[in-house]
Amino acid sequence: MIRKEAMKIVLEKITSSPIISANGFMSRDLFELKEKNSNFYMIGSMGLASSIGLGVALKNPRKKIFIFDGDGNILMNLGSLVTIGNLQPKNLVHIIFDNNSHESTGGQPTASNKISIAEFGKICNYKVFTVTNQNSLRNCLKKLQKINQSIMIVIKISKSDVKSKRVSLKPELIKYRFMKSLIEKQ
Amino acid sequence: MTNSFQSKTFNFFQKNNIKNFIGVPDSTLKEFISFGLKNKKIIVTTREEEAIGIATGMCLSGSNSLVFMQNAGFANSLSTITSLVKLYQIPLIFLIGWRGYLKDDAPEHTMIGKVQPDLIKTIELPSKIITANNWEKNCIWALKKIKNNSPCALIVKREFHD
Repeated sequence: MIRKEAMKIVLEKITSSPIISANGFMSRDLFELKEKNSNFYMIGSMGLASSIGLGVALKNPRKKIFIFDGDGNILMNLGSLVTIGNLQPKNLVHIIFDNNSHESTGGQPTASNKISIAEFGKICNYKVFTVTNQNSLRNCLKKLQKINQSIMIVIKISKSDVKSKRVSLKPELIKYRFMKSLIEKQ
Repeated sequence: MTNSFQSKTFNFFQKNNIKNFIGVPDSTLKEFISFGLKNKKIIVTTREEEAIGIATGMCLSGSNSLVFMQNAGFANSLSTITSLVKLYQIPLIFLIGWRGYLKDDAPEHTMIGKVQPDLIKTIELPSKIITANNWEKNCIWALKKIKNNSPCALIVKREFHD
């Protein structure tokens, strides 16, 4: 399973919920698969998707907030897991597409094959799932609604050459659309 | 020296619809942070960039936010300020303690303290130094800035040794 395939399965479960997506290929895949106003494409500031997602989750407790993160991204900001575990928002779903590499910069390795991100999630008070194939991902997504706790789903994916188009929206437009979507009824 | 304008600053912002105070502690801003902690209004993060990310998420949710840090942390945050805050025009107020303002401050602060004013100018973040005499005027300036969708910074000079 590559990132785009995994993301497609996740997106079948997300109709209008806000998504904060990490920079690089993550946001590009989301832009190509399911462009919507409630997507915040974080095109810079690598590592911070989970922090932005935490801020949105704390202020919108009645909405499920999805974070699309990569292993390279979260490894840059492990402190974010500590703060999420400290504040424990019940509406935060942190999805980590883990291909054990910095795919957007040429596929250089990360340490996620030797150091378990899922274990970090556990000690930081998340309910953690690790999935390795499409069936286990689908089964895991069915359980989400009933869980009253911050959730981490680590999806083990393979590297790929599939490249989505760039996010062509102006950053200020991404911001305004996203802000407006948060005050609209879902 | 007395720092009582720091609690006044906190109160002033709170009364003027700043809902969130997020950052990494700094001894120059000790009174501001202690006052906020007593009022249970502070989130302490592990790094400054993280604080800016959380505050950005809150701003996107229509909730005004202030991020506090030492100037060492401001240096950590340059890329986050340019590629998130400035890029998306996120209206955050930064409150920054200026170590190395005094020439005989601890040595680790000397260089960053020296370049602090140039650094903030270079990344085009509008800023004012706040003191016991001008804090209210400059806090009003900051509120106007964020109302116009512009991030800005207030600087507190470290004028004492401990």
